Amino acid sequence: MTESTNPRLSDGTLLSDLINLETREVKMRTLSDPELYELEMERIFAKTWVFLGHETEIPNKGDFVVRDMGSDSVLMARGSDDNIYVSLNVCPHRGMKISTHDVGNTPVHVCIYHGWAFKPNGDFIGAPVDKECMHGNLLTKEQLGLKKARVAIYGGLVFATWNIDGPSFDDFLGDAKWYFDTLWCRTNKGMEVLGPPQRFTIRANWKTACEQSASDGFHVLTLHRWLSEVGPYRKPGSEGGGGDLTPEMYGSEVYTAHAHTMRCIELDRKIRRLTGKEPSELSVKEKLEALPPPGITPAMLPEMMERFSEDQLKLMTWRPPQVGNFFPNGLFEFVYIPTPDGVIGVMALHAYVPKGPDKLEFVNWILAEKDTPPELKAQMLRLGVQLLGTSGMVEQDDSDTWPHQTLAAKGAVSKNITLKYQAMYENAKPEGWPGPGDVGDGFTKDDTQWRWWQYWHELMTAKN
Amino acid sequence: MLQELLEPTPLPPSVRKNRIAIGSEAYNEVLNFLYDEAEMLDNLRLGEWAELLTKDLEYNAPLRHTRSTAHFAQTYSRNVQHLHENYGSMMMRVKRITDTKSAWGEDPPSRVKRMVSNVRVYTTDKPNELKVDSYLLVTRSRFDFDYFDLIPCERHDILRREGDSLMLARREILLDQVVIGTPNLGIIL
Repeated sequence: MTESTNPRLSDGTLLSDLINLETREVKMRTLSDPELYELEMERIFAKTWVFLGHETEIPNKGDFVVRDMGSDSVLMARGSDDNIYVSLNVCPHRGMKISTHDVGNTPVHVCIYHGWAFKPNGDFIGAPVDKECMHGNLLTKEQLGLKKARVAIYGGLVFATWNIDGPSFDDFLGDAKWYFDTLWCRTNKGMEVLGPPQRFTIRANWKTACEQSASDGFHVLTLHRWLSEVGPYRKPGSEGGGGDLTPEMYGSEVYTAHAHTMRCIELDRKIRRLTGKEPSELSVKEKLEALPPPGITPAMLPEMMERFSEDQLKLMTWRPPQVGNFFPNGLFEFVYIPTPDGVIGVMALHAYVPKGPDKLEFVNWILAEKDTPPELKAQMLRLGVQLLGTSGMVEQDDSDTWPHQTLAAKGAVSKNITLKYQAMYENAKPEGWPGPGDVGDGFTKDDTQWRWWQYWHELMTAKN
Repeated sequence: MLQELLEPTPLPPSVRKNRIAIGSEAYNEVLNFLYDEAEMLDNLRLGEWAELLTKDLEYNAPLRHTRSTAHFAQTYSRNVQHLHENYGSMMMRVKRITDTKSAWGEDPPSRVKRMVSNVRVYTTDKPNELKVDSYLLVTRSRFDFDYFDLIPCERHDILRREGDSLMLARREILLDQVVIGTPNLGIIL
């Protein structure tokens, strides 16, 4: 992207009036403006790689789910060749939605309006009354297929883009891949979803959820304070159950060129508590045995350890990524939760699907490694439902915040108030940091979210 | 194996010949239970409500899917659900609201009306347990928003007699919406 433009909204406002790259401020108006929303759908969601789901949601030939890429509905289906295809869920004949179901299995998708038929891979099979040539004679059958997106499967996760000749998925992941491998590529068999995703609607702009998911740590101290009052981070014995989550916010934060970010939270305290020893005196193996990653049991460790470099294993036992995002609208949580039965991991992925300038759909998948023993899978799932998603005691506080930001973004005065991302790391990678990307060390800061807005700006101003 | 661990204990079927007559003493007792429960929950008397729960409580809200008429029975998913609770986790939900100063998702609390209707009561194989089917329409008003979030659902409950009172032992909530139209299920259904 060498050339850029400066889009102008109909009231004359330039995009550059909305974001101040020097002072790291963004006008509130960005969180509700309908014109900006339309631009985002074209310049971001129709251009970047978008997370749609997991391959284990559609294990058999003909299986499909209906998902969204920005404002467009798509079919994510497994073809007769076992590959996964993503096609626009719109009949090229008269624009009817091809599938009105959420999930199913069929070798042929037939549009209920005029009966045009398509394969799971999007190819046009034919229209009724073939001999009368209902599909006309101006275009070939090859030209009448569903519009196909480019698909990338990574660690079982399904991503797609309409940018057919654009950057590769690996380019898009960039430096994040080194870290993401330690999350999604831990075992030979890989991960599976433990069921279909939860879905619910929030009357808020998609960016409220997404900029937060770019590793905002500060909100945890106030918005999720209950975690230390009665929740899993309660400090036994302290008055009022503690109430201070500050110690949980130390570690390192990673941010990459394409605004994938992660909060890498220190495990030392947990390991000290579990082993009674100083982490520096323990080997990587000993640390992994004391506190394996979510979903991994000691029996699964030898296989897992073979898959990673020494540097990656160092990260996994020191400051593993626990919360973060993939741009534009994905979030991951691979967290270690203290429970009376020991530390239990929860693994969840979210997509925050834009549904208009004032509305988003929260989609929550809960996952485990395929090899995780069923009892542990069940525990991980229950804990995930309890803390995250629709009824989750952590995330119900987030989802009630975002609508207020979106409403404030409409006020004649408040729309010009700026979101501020001025808490900056004044240091770089901590000594011995094994991974790539930009890294800040110490207490959580705003750099990760600011990177999110920088990339948003880059895409919004890119000349097509 | 995982499925077995996740699936709630199957509810007994609602068989017409086991119906308890509308207006009978037992029916009215159930109706009182449901109305009192709604009143407690609507008025944030969560501690009082928690005393109505048995220690082996199962409390579930399956996901729904839009599927064809032929696949109507498969529109429920009981592995991942919206709510998947036992007594301990339900008490944590109650404690979060009653014992902290920072349960922001419900502070300030929603104004909620739980409207219970279409109540049908059945005897079961267990002499001390009744199966209760009902409809529930929840209206939820948040902040000064001029709209209501509506949460229509049906509930399939097992009420167990312990001593003089009825207790809630099992509840399955079948929500009408595939995509829930409220920002969270921070309220109890």
